[in-house]
Amino acid sequence: MRQRPAAFPVGLYGTLLLALCWLTLPTAFAPLERFALGATCLVPRLLGEWAGRPAAAAEPEAWRLAQLGAELAARLQRQDVEGARALLPGQFEPWFCAVREVAGDGPHRGGGGHPAALRLAVDHAAVAGCAPFVTKGDALVGFLVPPGTGAAADDAPTDPARVHLLHHRAAAPVAATLPLDGGDQLRLVVRAAATVDPAPLRADLWDDPYLAARLERGGHVVRTLALDDESPVPGGLRLGRTRIWGYGGAPGEATLAIGVFVVPPIEPRALSYVVLWRDRRRAGAAAEDPPPPVPARRLAAVVRDLPGAVHGRHLLVAGAAVPDGAAVVQDGIFLGTARGLAFGMGLVTSFAASRHRWSLLLLPDDDAVRPRELDGEVVSAEGAEACVRWHRRASGGEDERLPPGQLFTGSNGPHCPAGLWIGSVEPHPQDRSLLLVRTLALAGPRAAEVLVAGGTP
Amino acid sequence: MTRWLLWFVLAPQTFLLAGWWRDAGLPPLDVAVLVCLFLAFFADRSALPGLLFGAALGRALVDEASLPVQVLVLGVPVAVLLPLRRLFSAQGWLWQAIAAAACAVAVPRLAGWCGRLFDQPSASAELDGLAVMWAALLLPPMLAVLRRLPPFLAFEETA
Repeated sequence: MRQRPAAFPVGLYGTLLLALCWLTLPTAFAPLERFALGATCLVPRLLGEWAGRPAAAAEPEAWRLAQLGAELAARLQRQDVEGARALLPGQFEPWFCAVREVAGDGPHRGGGGHPAALRLAVDHAAVAGCAPFVTKGDALVGFLVPPGTGAAADDAPTDPARVHLLHHRAAAPVAATLPLDGGDQLRLVVRAAATVDPAPLRADLWDDPYLAARLERGGHVVRTLALDDESPVPGGLRLGRTRIWGYGGAPGEATLAIGVFVVPPIEPRALSYVVLWRDRRRAGAAAEDPPPPVPARRLAAVVRDLPGAVHGRHLLVAGAAVPDGAAVVQDGIFLGTARGLAFGMGLVTSFAASRHRWSLLLLPDDDAVRPRELDGEVVSAEGAEACVRWHRRASGGEDERLPPGQLFTGSNGPHCPAGLWIGSVEPHPQDRSLLLVRTLALAGPRAAEVLVAGGTP
Repeated sequence: MTRWLLWFVLAPQTFLLAGWWRDAGLPPLDVAVLVCLFLAFFADRSALPGLLFGAALGRALVDEASLPVQVLVLGVPVAVLLPLRRLFSAQGWLWQAIAAAACAVAVPRLAGWCGRLFDQPSASAELDGLAVMWAALLLPPMLAVLRRLPPFLAFEETA
C-alpha cells in the first residue's frame, strides 16, 4: 500500500493538466513562457558571441527588392481600383488601403466558418470621410464599422479602422440581382450565412420564389442592386456566384433547390489590400489627401543561427522587447517571423520551416499577368526551397495554374505587413495546387530589423 | 539544487546538439524520443514534472509550437509508458528499441494532432520512417551512455 502514491504519478498528470490550462489561457501564461525560453536561450546567445560579426545584405540586391515591392504595390493598386471605379459616381475617389489583420475568432467567425472582420492599416479618424462600402476590383468586400458602434463600440478614433466582410453576422444584408439565361433577372437579398453553412453568404427574400426554387444549377453571378439614389451600396458590384443546395432528382429530372448560397470571389484569409472610397461631398470639396499609413517601427537586431539552423530556426537578439509574430527582415528580404522572449531576444522561424497558414502575394514575371493574393502553407521544405500549397479561390479559378514570379508576404498580422520579399516562385510541374519557392539561403550572423507596428494593436 | 540547475542548463541544449549532429551528416537523432524513454523508464518519478518542463523548453527551441504543446507532446508518451516501466527497463534492449520506435511514431503524430487542435502546426509533425528506424537502433545504447552522465545520472531512480 505504501508504494501506491509513487505508482500514481500525480505530478506528471498535473503537469499535463496545467499544459491544457496554459493552452486555454495563453495570455495569462505568456510572461512565464517568455521568461523561461529567454533564460534557456542565454546559453546559445553567449556561445553565439564567438560566431563572428553580423553581415549586411548587398546594396544592389536591396535596391532590386525595393523596386520589386514598389512594382507589386502599383500593379495591385491598378487592378483593385479599376473594377469598381466605372460603377461609382464621380464624387468617389479611391483609397488603396493595406489590411493590418484578418480576424476570424469568436464573434468574427462569419458565414461558412470563414474569418469575417478586418483591421486596416489606417485609423477610424482617417476613414471618417469615406463611403461605408469597401471594394476590391469589381467586388463588394464589406462595410466600414464606425467607432462607437457594434464591434467598434469601445474603439477610439485613433484605433485601426474595422471592416465587417459581407458574411459577418453583423453586416447589413444587401439587395442584389441574379441574371438568368433568358434575359430575365431575379431580385433577392444576400446576407451572411450561418457558420455551419456550406458557403459564406445566403440568398434570401426572392422576388419570385417559385422561379428561384427552379434554379437547377449554380454559378450565376450575383451583383448588388441600387434600390434608389440614397442606397448605401452602388449597383453592379459583384457579390459572388451561386451554389445550389437541394435534392438531386433522377437523371433527366430537375433538382429541387432548398437553399441558394453565394460564394464570394475573395478568400478572406488572402486579403492584403482593399479599396475605400472617399466621398468628396462628405469629406468636403477641399478635403486633404488621405494620410499615409503609419510605417512600422524598425528595431535593429542580430540574427544568429541556432545549431541545425539549416532547418530554419534562428536566435534573434534585439535591443528591445520583440512582439510575437513580428517580421524579421534584412534589407527587404523576409527572414521569418519572431516569437518574442525575455532579455530582448526572440526565436525566428523561417518561411520554409513554418507550417502555419500565410497570406501571400504573387507578382508574376510577365507584366501582362495580374498579381494574385493567395493564402497557403508550406507543406515540405528542403533547405531553402519550400513547397507551398495554396488554397484555391472560393469560386472560379479551379483549374487555374499560377504563373512563375516573385513571392511576397501578404498581411499576416499587425507586425508582419504585406510586401516583404520571400523568394522566387514557380508552379509545381505536376500539382497545380503547389508552388515551389526558392528563398535565399543565408548563413552566419546577420544584421537585421524587426518590424513592430506603430499605434495601438 | 545543483542537479536541477544542471538539468535546466544542459538538457535543453541537447536538442540543439542534435542539430549539430545532423548537420555533421550523421543519422538523425530524435532527442524528444530519447528524453521520453529516460523519463518513462529510468527517471525519478517525483521529479518528472520538472524534468518534463526542462525537456519541453529544449524542444521549444527547435520547434515552432509553443511550450505547453511541447509539454503535451513529450508528456503524453511518458504517461502512457510509465506504467510499463518494470517490463521495459528489465527486459533489456529489444523492448527499449520497440518503445523507441513507438515513441518516434507517437511524438510527430502528437505534434500534428496538437498542432491542428490548438492551431500551432509545426514541421516536427512530419513522420520520417528513417528517423523511426534510427531511433530504434541508436537511442537505447545512447540512453545507456547518457544515464551515466550528468544531468541524467542525478535523476535516475534508485531501486
